[in-house]
Amino acid sequence: MLPRIAKAVVKGVLWFVFLYVVPMFIISGLSEFAPEIASTYGKLLNVFVAIILFFVVASELTAGTIFQHALNIGKAIILMIFIVLALEGGIVALDFQRVHLVADLRIFLAMFLAIDFLGLAKSVLQAVNFLSEKTESQLPTPSPKE
Amino acid sequence: MKQAIRAFGIAIYVLWIVVMVFTVTLVYSATQLGVDLDTENSQTSTSGGTVIMSVPFSVTNKGFYDISNLNITTTLEETNGALVSNSSTVVPLISSGNKVDATHKISITLNELTSASLSRLLFNDTEFAVDLILGLSYARVVPLKISTNSTMQWGAPLHNLAIGDIPTPQYHNSSHVETVLPLSFENHSFFNLNGNIRIEIINTSNQKVGSSTIQISAPSQNDYSTQLPLYLLVGSGSLKEARLYFDFPPIFSYGPKVMPIE
Repeated sequence: MLPRIAKAVVKGVLWFVFLYVVPMFIISGLSEFAPEIASTYGKLLNVFVAIILFFVVASELTAGTIFQHALNIGKAIILMIFIVLALEGGIVALDFQRVHLVADLRIFLAMFLAIDFLGLAKSVLQAVNFLSEKTESQLPTPSPKE
Repeated sequence: MKQAIRAFGIAIYVLWIVVMVFTVTLVYSATQLGVDLDTENSQTSTSGGTVIMSVPFSVTNKGFYDISNLNITTTLEETNGALVSNSSTVVPLISSGNKVDATHKISITLNELTSASLSRLLFNDTEFAVDLILGLSYARVVPLKISTNSTMQWGAPLHNLAIGDIPTPQYHNSSHVETVLPLSFENHSFFNLNGNIRIEIINTSNQKVGSSTIQISAPSQNDYSTQLPLYLLVGSGSLKEARLYFDFPPIFSYGPKVMPIE
């Protein structure tokens, strides 16, 4: 159990650096000329990182069990919902200073959702595969007929 | 089963790479985009009955992707919200690595304005609310709309229009007496006024007792004053008002502007 916890912590820290520290460094640079945007996307980044870190650590702690696959399925579904909400259904409106910007990012939404659907399908297949392998391993080994 | 899982894994990686490369190049390309509004070289002109402000601009696209359907729309509104002008300029395509020079023309057709709007704009300096909307399709898949607002000064062509006191009339003939009507205004607009002003003098019995027409040539940004020769009917009685009709073809025609005579 201890190596698994250590592995989960290391993975969690690495994902934290990759997903939070580096993007925050970029966003803090943005905050000088567009503080409203930096504030909005800073909050979204916090939520995104929290979701990812939770699932990375939980998935690592439950590795080798059906819960790992269940968590992966849950992660794919939650990320889909998060992406739809974060991209405001694909039409993003921003205000900074006196400029109002509306961007139609539905193409990005479609691409991110496609990735998440593939991730969901992969996780379902992994869960089915895990269960079938487990069931097969519990079956009595047929003895050769004489 | 395992091959299918592996295939899904590969597809996810490939899609992530595509999304990341597309996103990074798109953001980089957006930073390489230059829009330059050359307000210093903006010009004003009149064409037919339309006053045109021409603002040259250039778009430099040093990014990786084309810009299509660039549409600049300017809306001018009075402070009370009345629409004065709605002008659009479309650039169909700005290819990657190219620079496009174009001119955005803001047109104001005074004769198409309502009488109330025209009255305000002819005699009062004001401030227009300017809404600038820039729409474009970036990389042909990301439509963007950027809007901002500001204000623009409007100089009235007949600002401070005033008529002075009419001097004591002199004998002209048996039916008319002769006098003059001092008239002045300031042309604060960016166009020259060339045309006629017709004046009708009305007495307290609401009868027209005299009229006069004068040709006017008032350059832009200049004061103008003149003495209109006026012939009044003998026995006109007390004068009540002057009705002024402005005809400056093709820019505008307006009247009557009623001004009391004291």
